[in-house]
Order: sequence, then C-alpha cells, then structure tokens
Amino acid sequence: MREDAPALLLALEQSAYGEAVRQSVWLYPAANVGHVLALAAFAGAVAIMDARLLGAFAATPPAAVLRPTRRVALAAFALLAASGAALFIAEASHVAQNPVLWIKACLIGLGLANAAAVGVFGETAIADCPPHRPLPLALRAAALLSLALWLAVAACGRLIAYF
Amino acid sequence: MAGKTWAAIALFWAAAMTASGVVLAHHGWGSYDAANPITISGLIVTSEYQNPHVVLNVEANGKRWIIVLAPVSRMLNRGALAELMAVGKTISAFGYVSTVEKNELRAERVTVDGKTIEMR
Repeated sequence: MREDAPALLLALEQSAYGEAVRQSVWLYPAANVGHVLALAAFAGAVAIMDARLLGAFAATPPAAVLRPTRRVALAAFALLAASGAALFIAEASHVAQNPVLWIKACLIGLGLANAAAVGVFGETAIADCPPHRPLPLALRAAALLSLALWLAVAACGRLIAYF
Repeated sequence: MAGKTWAAIALFWAAAMTASGVVLAHHGWGSYDAANPITISGLIVTSEYQNPHVVLNVEANGKRWIIVLAPVSRMLNRGALAELMAVGKTISAFGYVSTVEKNELRAERVTVDGKTIEMR
C-alpha cells in the first residue's frame, strides 16, 4: 500500500474485496488464469471478425460471421473486465502508478470506440453485403485498426509487470 | 488479398499467444540488480502473507528492508508457511536489490529457523 495514492485507490485496495483477493491462496491466481483464458477467447473472436471485414471467409456473408462471433467477444470481454478488476483492486495503489496500465486503459477505450463505430456506422453495409463482395474501405481500415489496438492492449497487459 | 489476410491472422495469433503464454509469470526481474546479489540478515518486523507476493519488512543493521517473496501458493507448496515468515523471526534473505526502490530486495532464497526455501 502506498499512502501517497489517491483516496479512491486506497479505498479500493483496502475494501473487503481487495482484502479477499490478497488473502485467498487461489483468488489471485484464478483471476490471472481467467484473464489469460478470456484473452485467448477474445483475441480469437476479434481476429475472426476483423479477418471477415478484411475479406477472409468471403463465401460467407459478413453478417453471418460477425453476429455469433460478436457474442463470444462480448462474453469474453465481460470475463476480461471482471478478472482484470480483481487483479487491479488487489494492488490498486501500486498498479495505478504504472504508466503502462494507463496506456492500456486508453487503448481499450479506443478499441471499444472503434468496435462501437463499426457496429453503428457499419451496420447497414455489413447487413447488406453479399458473399464475395469487399466491404467499404472504411470498414476494412477499422478492422486493421482493431487488430492493431487489441494486440497493443494484450502487449501492454503483459508489460505492466516490467514497469 | 486472401493471402495477405491469412498472413495477418497468423501474425495476430503468433503475437497473441506469445503475449498470453507468459502472463502467469506475473513479474519480471528487469528492475532488479541481478548482477549484484546480496544477503540480508535481520528481524522480521512486519509480514504481509498475501498475494500477489508475500512481503516482509526486515530490520537489518539499523536499516529497514522490504523483502519481496513468492506468491502465497508457492510459499505454501515449499513449506514457507506464515508461521515461519512471522514477526519476530530472524531471516536471512539472498536476493537482488530493486533499481527503483533502493530498500527493496527481491529474494532468490530465504533461510528461517535453519530452513532454506527457494523462491523461484
């Protein structure tokens, strides 16, 4: 615990939940394992969606690929958020001083904004796109950006331990 | 187009697997001076037997050290129980000094009550 940390972070760290994650033998490792398994599922779903937007699996209409895969991505993201919160709260006052954590948070925000933009502005183009027709350039660019952002998020997650 | 897409997918997966595969290692050793290990012997003043790492406060020759040990599950597996890492015990810790926090030692192994336990 760092006494010089903001009160909110100290409150989180000293909460009953934070205490439980630290005191339990298995909660922290379980959150760690859950985080990496959720990352594998999330990365897989994101890669499939972005690959389809970029032109892979062209025989299948994009909507047919994206709809079920998006559900997997959302479920995996929920698990990532829950396990990530446990890991964060356990040592909030320390990890909040880590610049890589905040870079990661910003990249997550950008990744979510990009995904929401594709979902909102690209909905019609995706729904109306038949097999074997390339999607609009903006959607393909968004897919590339998505791959880059989520890869960078994963890399930052690992790098938190080294800064 | 299709070839490039597949190459991108392969690259994405390779990077994602590399990133995820090492996540369990949890902490790096990058910011500890591995070239100049030291041994500290002193009295345990406080003991936080908790995750992600057990942390001791040790008084040695008038200096207060923060000694970072292993995660709780590994401590238990190796017999470094809370009763052993307890306040008032004398501990000898061999390890590496943090290059950031000058009074923090990452222990490679510790000896308490004649029992030596490896932390890695």
